[in-house]
Amino acid sequence: MTMKQWSFRILLAIIMTAISSQAWAQADEVEIFQVEKDTIVARTRYDKRLDRYQRFWNALIPRNFKFQMYGGMGLVNIGVGWRYGKNHQWETDLLFGLIPKYESHSTKVTMTLKENFTPWKVHLKGNLYFQPLSTGLYFNTVFSDQFWTHEPSRYPRGYYGFSTRVRTHVFVGERLKLYIPESKRHNFRSISVFYEISSCDLYIVSAATNSYLKPKDYLVLSLGLICEIF
Amino acid sequence: MKIKDLIHVTITAFFVTSCDMLETHPYDVKISGERGINAKNTALIEQKMAGRTNMRFGVISDTQRRYNDTEDVVSALNARGDLDFVVHCGDLSDFGATREFEWQRDILNDLKVPYVTVIGNHDCLGTGEDTYLEIFGELNYAFTAGDVRFVCLNTNALEYDYSRPVPDFDYIESEIEYCNAEGSGINRTIVVMHVKPTEMVFNNNVAKPFQHYITMLPGLQFCLYGHEHQLTVDDLFGDGVLYYQCPAVYKRYYLLFTLNSDGSYDYEAVEF
Repeated sequence: MTMKQWSFRILLAIIMTAISSQAWAQADEVEIFQVEKDTIVARTRYDKRLDRYQRFWNALIPRNFKFQMYGGMGLVNIGVGWRYGKNHQWETDLLFGLIPKYESHSTKVTMTLKENFTPWKVHLKGNLYFQPLSTGLYFNTVFSDQFWTHEPSRYPRGYYGFSTRVRTHVFVGERLKLYIPESKRHNFRSISVFYEISSCDLYIVSAATNSYLKPKDYLVLSLGLICEIF
Repeated sequence: MKIKDLIHVTITAFFVTSCDMLETHPYDVKISGERGINAKNTALIEQKMAGRTNMRFGVISDTQRRYNDTEDVVSALNARGDLDFVVHCGDLSDFGATREFEWQRDILNDLKVPYVTVIGNHDCLGTGEDTYLEIFGELNYAFTAGDVRFVCLNTNALEYDYSRPVPDFDYIESEIEYCNAEGSGINRTIVVMHVKPTEMVFNNNVAKPFQHYITMLPGLQFCLYGHEHQLTVDDLFGDGVLYYQCPAVYKRYYLLFTLNSDGSYDYEAVEF
C-alpha cells in the first residue's frame, strides 16, 4: 500500500512538473517588444515579469474537455485535460465521476488522474484522422468513508497490504479524430471519439494466478469523447 | 447484402460481449446474476433434512482469490455423492470487490448440494459487505437441518471498529430462546463463524461472554471457523467445546463432518 501511495505521489509530481515546465518553456519564448504610439519602448522589468507570469498561467489552461463512461472509474466522468509534447502526444486528464448507488449505501463521487500517450495519427479523409494507439494508466480514488487509502490504525501494520480507495488501471485504446474547419469552429478545434480496454490492479493480480478468469472477467471497456478547445 | 449481414452480426456480437465489459467501478455493487443465496439454500437444506437425525456435510473456507482451487474443491465435493450440504466459513473475496463475490458464487453454484456461507473479514472491505448482503444475505442467520441448528455468526469485530455489535449477543440470545423453546425439535447445535474468539479480529473483550452465551445453546456440538488458513482443532476455553478450523482452500483440504443418529459425530480432513 505504501508503495502504491508513493508511486501515486511520484506520478502526480512528475505530471505536474511536466505541465509546469511546459508552461515555463512557453513563458520563456522570445520576448516581443511592445509597440506604442509608433515608438519602440523597451519593456521594464515589471512588464517582463508580468508577461512571464501570464504566459505561465496561460499554459496551465486546460486544452481539452473529456467525457468518459465506464472503465472502472465511474459511470459518467467529466473533466479537463492538458496536451503537451512535441506532437501533443502526451495528455493528462483530471476527471470527476459518479458511481450510482446500485445496491450499496450511497452514490459515490470519484476522481481520476489519467495519463495518455497517443503517438500516431493516420490521415483518413478530409479532416478525419485515426489514432491507432492510445495507451496509459489512471489512478482512481473514491470519496467515501467506506474506503481507506492507508489501513486505519486499528489494523496491525500491513494487515491487508493494499488500499481499498486508490485503484490503478492500465489501458489500451483507439481514437477517431475530426478537425473542425476554422470557418465552422464555434467551440472546439477538434472532436475525438475513443474506446479503451482496461484492467485494474485487483483484477490483474487475480487473473495472474487463476486460469478460471477469462479476459471478459478482468478486462473492462470504456467509451469517451474528447473536445479540443485549442 | 451478405456483407451487410456480416457487419450487422459483428456489431451485435460486439455490443453483446461488451455489455459485460462495461464496468462502473470495481466496488460499484452493481450485481448481475443470482442473489439471496443463503436464504434459498437454507430453505432447501431445511426441506431436505426435515426429520433426519444423521447427516454429512463438507466444510470449506477462505477461497478468496483462489478460483482454480475453489473449482477443484467443488469438483472434489461433487465427486463424493454422499454429502447433504456444504458450509463455507467466509472470506469469499480478497479485496471486497463486487466481481469477486460473483465469481465465487458462480463457482460454488456448481455444487450439487446446497451451500451456505458466513461473512469473512476480507468480505467486509470497501463495499464488500453491501455486496455480500445482496448476493449471500444476512450476516447473522441460522437454519435447522433435521434436529441440528446451525447458528451462523458475523465475528469480524475489527472490521466494524466496535461501531456495531459484533458478535451480536441479542441475536445469539434469540437463538438460545428459539432452540430451547419447547417443541423446537432442536437437540444439537453447531456454531459457524469466520474468526474464532481469542483471534485478533474477534472482539476479545467479549471472548469469554461469547463462549458463555453459545454454551447455552442446547447440545452444542462444536464450532466451525476459518480465517487463519490452518487445519487446527482446539478446546479454546478448556470447557470441552471444540473449535475446528477449516484450512484455506489453497491448502487443498476440506473438512467432512458426519453427525450420527446416536448423537455422536465423526470428522475428517480430506485432501483433494
